[in-house]
Amino acid sequence: MADSGAVHTIELTINGEQQTHNVMSRQLLVHFIRDVLGMRGTHIGCDTGNCGACTIIVDGQPVKSCMMLAAQADGRSIETIESLGDGPDGLDPLQEAFREHHGLQCGFCTPGVLLNAKTLLAENPNPSTDEIRRALLGNICRCTGYTNIVKSIEAAAAK
Amino acid sequence: MNPDAKTLPYSPVEQSERLGQWSGKNVPRKEDKRLLKGQGAFVDDLWMHRMGYVHFVRSPHAHARIVSIDVSKCEAVPGVYATLTGKEVGELQEPYFQMAPEPGANAKDYCMAVDKARFMGEPVVAVLAESRELARDAAELVEVEYEVLPAVVDGVATVEPDAPIIHDEVGSNVGWHGVYDYGDVDWALDNADHVVRIDRLHFHRFSSAPLECSAALVNWDPGTGVCEFQTNNQMPMFAAMFLGPAIGLGIDHMQFVTQDIGGGFGIKITSYTYLTALALLSRKAGRPVKWTEYRWEHLAASAHGNERTFLDVEVPVMSDGTILGFKLRAFDDAGAYMRYEPLGAVIWSQVVPGNYRFKHIRVDYTETFTNKCPVGPNRGYSRLQHLWMIERIVDTVAHELGFDPVELRKLNYIQPEDFPYEAPNGCIYDSGDYHAMLDKALELVDYPAVKQRKEAAAGSGKRIGIGIGTTLDSGTNNFGQSRIINPELPFSGNGEAAFCKLDLYGEVTVTLGTTPQGQGHETTTAQVVADILGITPEMVHVRAGYNKANHTYVGFSGTYASQFAVTGLGAVIGAAEKLRGEMVRVGAAMLGGVDEDDVELADGFVRLAGNPEAAIPFIGIAATVFSNVAELPGELADSVSLNCRHVYRPPFAVPNSEDKTGQLTLTYASQVHVAVVEVDEETGAVELLDYAAVDECGRKVNPQIVEGQVHGATGHGIGAALYETFNYDSDGQLLNATFMDYHAATSLDVPMIKYGDIECPSPFTPNGAKGMGEGGGAPLSTISSAIQDALPEGAHIVYDTHNPPERVYDLLRSASLGLPRGVSVTSR
Amino acid sequence: MLLAATDYVRPDSLQEAVELLASSANARPLAGGQSLLNVLKHRAASVDLLVDISRLEELRSIESGGDGSATIGAGVTYAELERSDALRASHPVVAEVASVTVDRQVRNRGTLGGNICFADPASNFPPLVVALGATMNITGPGGDRTLAAEDFFSGAHRTALEPGELLRSVTLPALGGAGTGYRTLPLARESWALARAAALVRGNGTIEDIRVVLGCVAGTPVRATAMEDKLRGEQPTPEAIADASAAAGEGLEPPSDTHATGDYRRDMACVMAKRAVLEATGGANG
Repeated sequence: MADSGAVHTIELTINGEQQTHNVMSRQLLVHFIRDVLGMRGTHIGCDTGNCGACTIIVDGQPVKSCMMLAAQADGRSIETIESLGDGPDGLDPLQEAFREHHGLQCGFCTPGVLLNAKTLLAENPNPSTDEIRRALLGNICRCTGYTNIVKSIEAAAAK
Repeated sequence: MNPDAKTLPYSPVEQSERLGQWSGKNVPRKEDKRLLKGQGAFVDDLWMHRMGYVHFVRSPHAHARIVSIDVSKCEAVPGVYATLTGKEVGELQEPYFQMAPEPGANAKDYCMAVDKARFMGEPVVAVLAESRELARDAAELVEVEYEVLPAVVDGVATVEPDAPIIHDEVGSNVGWHGVYDYGDVDWALDNADHVVRIDRLHFHRFSSAPLECSAALVNWDPGTGVCEFQTNNQMPMFAAMFLGPAIGLGIDHMQFVTQDIGGGFGIKITSYTYLTALALLSRKAGRPVKWTEYRWEHLAASAHGNERTFLDVEVPVMSDGTILGFKLRAFDDAGAYMRYEPLGAVIWSQVVPGNYRFKHIRVDYTETFTNKCPVGPNRGYSRLQHLWMIERIVDTVAHELGFDPVELRKLNYIQPEDFPYEAPNGCIYDSGDYHAMLDKALELVDYPAVKQRKEAAAGSGKRIGIGIGTTLDSGTNNFGQSRIINPELPFSGNGEAAFCKLDLYGEVTVTLGTTPQGQGHETTTAQVVADILGITPEMVHVRAGYNKANHTYVGFSGTYASQFAVTGLGAVIGAAEKLRGEMVRVGAAMLGGVDEDDVELADGFVRLAGNPEAAIPFIGIAATVFSNVAELPGELADSVSLNCRHVYRPPFAVPNSEDKTGQLTLTYASQVHVAVVEVDEETGAVELLDYAAVDECGRKVNPQIVEGQVHGATGHGIGAALYETFNYDSDGQLLNATFMDYHAATSLDVPMIKYGDIECPSPFTPNGAKGMGEGGGAPLSTISSAIQDALPEGAHIVYDTHNPPERVYDLLRSASLGLPRGVSVTSR
Repeated sequence: MLLAATDYVRPDSLQEAVELLASSANARPLAGGQSLLNVLKHRAASVDLLVDISRLEELRSIESGGDGSATIGAGVTYAELERSDALRASHPVVAEVASVTVDRQVRNRGTLGGNICFADPASNFPPLVVALGATMNITGPGGDRTLAAEDFFSGAHRTALEPGELLRSVTLPALGGAGTGYRTLPLARESWALARAAALVRGNGTIEDIRVVLGCVAGTPVRATAMEDKLRGEQPTPEAIADASAAAGEGLEPPSDTHATGDYRRDMACVMAKRAVLEATGGANG
């Protein structure tokens, strides 16, 4: 039952900080983030990579962290929800926009949505409603019906 | 109806004049900061020293006798702490209390399969190990021998004599049966100008599937004997009522804690079965046990929404379009075990005539067992099914008899001046104006323009359809309706509790009995308390989540059934008013013994009205009572605690189980939706071109939160109407148990929703609000109606709530193939 | 959701990757992982060694052949295909299809080679590359070889790759003025396909060459040869195309599953085939 052979040392940048870790071959990046790094803001909502609750940013691009091995993060720079906002108390303009426009209810999909939205606005500062809706295709929300999420992102873009 | 108060079973309630500065405003949510920063505490985030991780071995068969279980190889693996088998459960647990009368009550329901497995995915063995991975891997070494039995998956055919019996002790696959009979439908059918007959309508099986699966960290402490459940169950006291007697735990020996819950929608109510298994495992292993459900387990083995088939629907209609009522047989498929069932068998009767003035109704209702996942009170529980059927009737009558669908509805709707309206079974609909809502919804989609667009599309290969859906969200249950199902049940009324207190330094703190899963209870509570105490919402500390030991609760505490705005806030209002009263009395004494009527709370002070200098800050009140009490007159000191609890009790009496009448819910929020669809003639694919949702839920405490709930309910309904369904094969195998194949509606599937609202305050609630949140499943009716409108003449009627491309394709072709239409009309 | 125990290695060269893959019967290449990780999560296949090829430079380029052809490395991601100016110039349909494949998170990791080698009957690229007449460039222990796309797919989730072989790149011949069409009937908006057809049509006035390839109807992409035969040498009128498309369903026995029946898939295959050919010939937008 013990994991065969396989501890890998990986070096990666996590929210701006260079770190070195040992990971098991089979460990998914999302479990590494939650269980090893202890960062619980990245969530797990399914077992087939469909829901996007585990979305993080890898080298500037949104990626589902349950669809990547921790070992594959070697040499990469990852950003999780914990990197957003100013310190433990502050909200950044994107987060503020969600608060203002009621872009979240239970909050479980929210970290993944925010990180996806962050990358969208970085590459397309003025997205149309359709572009935002398409960009959110990989993030499932069961609470909001998406309308207010889209409006929050539009508001953030307008800032 | 005569709104004279003397003829109502309960009177209009005096409503607080103090609500208004913060109530009714879009106050940003207190919950948001932690959730936006990923600092929410969801159950899988929790951890306890020495804990083990649980993996369930589950039956791959829908129906199978468990011949033997061998856990020896599994237990031999280093790091495996313990296992628990169904056989042990059979010895350690009393079967759960059943709400049905006999013979349905004879079904034995345990937290795991004991003698046989009755649905695919039913847990059979629990494995506890030092890591998630080890629990998963070691579980593969558990050997279970099954004797596969034939399965039954059709919720109607299951009552046939040749169907395999699922619960031998019940003797048949009928869990409950009853007939609801109001007015005189036989007379109506004999005397009506037309009778419209619909062969079959089917409400399909789906789930709101919250994004966070069920989870629990359970520790049965050997030292204190208290079992702590840190869990996302959304109705802990209901769980306690089932769990406690089953494993011999007194209510006070169970502690429930929740903080952030990633959606519930009713699906997280029946998780007490898993909590039971976890408690037994924790006790056996002497360790905390942690379990997080996988998505496939959630879809296959948590709870599904009720699946209901309506047969032989007969509708008497007069020549002017007045629909007199309906008669039908309903079969509700409860799955393998009745857990919250058969309450669903009465809960639909909160809305017997839907939004209409129907007087003559007979429903012959059978609750059945099948070898499928047990159902739970999914969003809109049991009313969705009934309301969809009613709108299909109205839609079909309009179409078959050539009435304008808007005018026919307006003719048959309960008229605005009829409120408070007494339904045929005695339920009182508090307020509403469906006519205004329908007009608003049609305006939002620009109805005249859409009709033109529909004409213009003829022959283009795309067919445009416009649909209307009218529904209700009945809120604040009278649990006495359970006695209509089973007169022996010791339940009636309802209640919710709240504590409002002033802490040592004058901070205002509120604790609730509810378990929010995103509805913003912390925020709306703070708004209401701020109004009553003359402060701001920021100054009100509402403790997050639910905590049985530290907060407060009553028997039905939890968050479900569209009631928080009434019951939860009713309790909050009561507690805050009590606190206010005490603060006024203490303040009056401290201000020199002035008249209490001259004392007000404003701007964070207790002060003399008209003399802002004579003001005491809250800390002054608190300090006097807590550390300087000798300064108060003795009688006053003995009568104040600044720690005020209130239980809101809606004014219900026990319903009449003989004739199945009574007041079953206090409030009736309503929904009118309009959808415009475009149907591809060649493929049956349906695209939503436009969607308007108009909502009414009394006086809104936080309009933005209300609108969010409407969007969410609409999203769920659209998902179910077009994309989401559970498909079982004839062997009871669930074919789509992952999000790969169960298509949860995405940001492209749900259009930007056009929202409209009106307010018809409820006369019966402390704040004029009505419970809301579930919605009435209006998208299901609306989209069925829109697709019907798009179909060619001679097509089969839309008969199912779920209409994926292939079903629509078959409906489109049914016209040219000359197939039966599923509906017939006889006229005088 | 949790993978079984496995080994993982990230070789630095294609050659090393091939050696590693040949070293064990249960070794598999791991590129983007957007399909393979799901297989491993559900323990639907047993893998002892994951050979991470996602960063091999040999697999990561898009080269324009100067003659309008393009060779795309198997490790190129959907996002890179979408953003490739070269590809938009030479084979815009490939960039278009990549841009609507799954969602943007998946597009950042999933690769062309992964999509093709996973050979899911409902996936985008197998029927497309067959329609485009692509050539598969393969590297293995025995050296390099090529295969026509049509010969590459041998069944649902099965390809002609021998143990130890890797798909290195895909060469798309120049379109040379041919029109392409690609139509999907999705389960939901931009979702899994219930029916799919890709078409390539060459000819001015009359159809000289036509390839119509169906997805979702069998384990492998299927050439709708009966339909092609009816249209070769004909004028591409909407009536002729519609008429010929009825033949697209001949001999098909598509599977029934939770989303649709085989009969519906067959009917829809004909509709998608018609629409794809209409698109390829610049006809009415179906």
